[in-house]
Amino acid sequence: MNRLQLIKDHILSRERNASEPLSNGLYARVTSAIHGKNPRHFQNMAMPATQPSPLTTHVLNIAKGVPGANMTISLYRLDPVSSVWNELTTRLTNDDGRCLCLITKETFIAGVYKMHFETEKYWNALGEISFYPFVEVVFTVTDASQKYHVPLLLSRFSYSTYRGS
Amino acid sequence: MGPLNNSSPLTTHVLNTGDGLPAVRMAISLHRLDPQMTLWNLITVGSTNEDGRCPGLITSDAFTPGTYKMRFETGQYWESLEQGSFYPYVEIVFTITDADQKFHLPLLLSRYSYSTYRGS
Repeated sequence: MNRLQLIKDHILSRERNASEPLSNGLYARVTSAIHGKNPRHFQNMAMPATQPSPLTTHVLNIAKGVPGANMTISLYRLDPVSSVWNELTTRLTNDDGRCLCLITKETFIAGVYKMHFETEKYWNALGEISFYPFVEVVFTVTDASQKYHVPLLLSRFSYSTYRGS
Repeated sequence: MGPLNNSSPLTTHVLNTGDGLPAVRMAISLHRLDPQMTLWNLITVGSTNEDGRCPGLITSDAFTPGTYKMRFETGQYWESLEQGSFYPYVEIVFTITDADQKFHLPLLLSRYSYSTYRGS
């Protein structure tokens, strides 16, 4: 199931970034496989390997000791010439507080990136207020062949981040 | 003794947790989001003292409810120590609903991590 979800997320990500949407056929087939309409068909097929994103994150709600699920995260890269932030992707964290397929190896180049976490919306959905309307972590990727893990440990009145693995 | 930097209702404290020392001479700026939510207005520019603090960030009169941003020039700070860092700068955006309270926003910082919290 995880593998199918990975592929679905990959297709969704490509659709968002492509100027023309992919054919509905592939997306629909993967989606119905995930939702159990023809699971066997996909289980026995040779799946194209989807490489894990070289950039990952993990949101943890340290006030409650649970992953930060269903939080909207956007990834931006700074255009070095115009100093404009270009949005690369917007995703929701899953039940484990992670975002699969943030970026592909091909798109991940050296540069300055920004991860924008919609923390206030997250806390509001839990019926709570938050000191921070959002959290932005800006970081420099010097060597895009490495993996970068940028987690966010969060409570209503504090947060921390670090470069992990 | 006249009124000193009559304690700003908003304070900060930057600590270099990598070296176990206050972060000295780090440039900081405080901004407020304008009411139309379209741009950030610069309120103060300063730098941390020998204790990693920056007194006089804002006066009680100027401290009104709203959305603020504190920007720490962490990249420059590490460069001045001839070290690299993962973060070119740190910006902390926060909401003030009750401007009669005091707000302490420390930054605990190393080359590859940082944390902040609402303190006292």
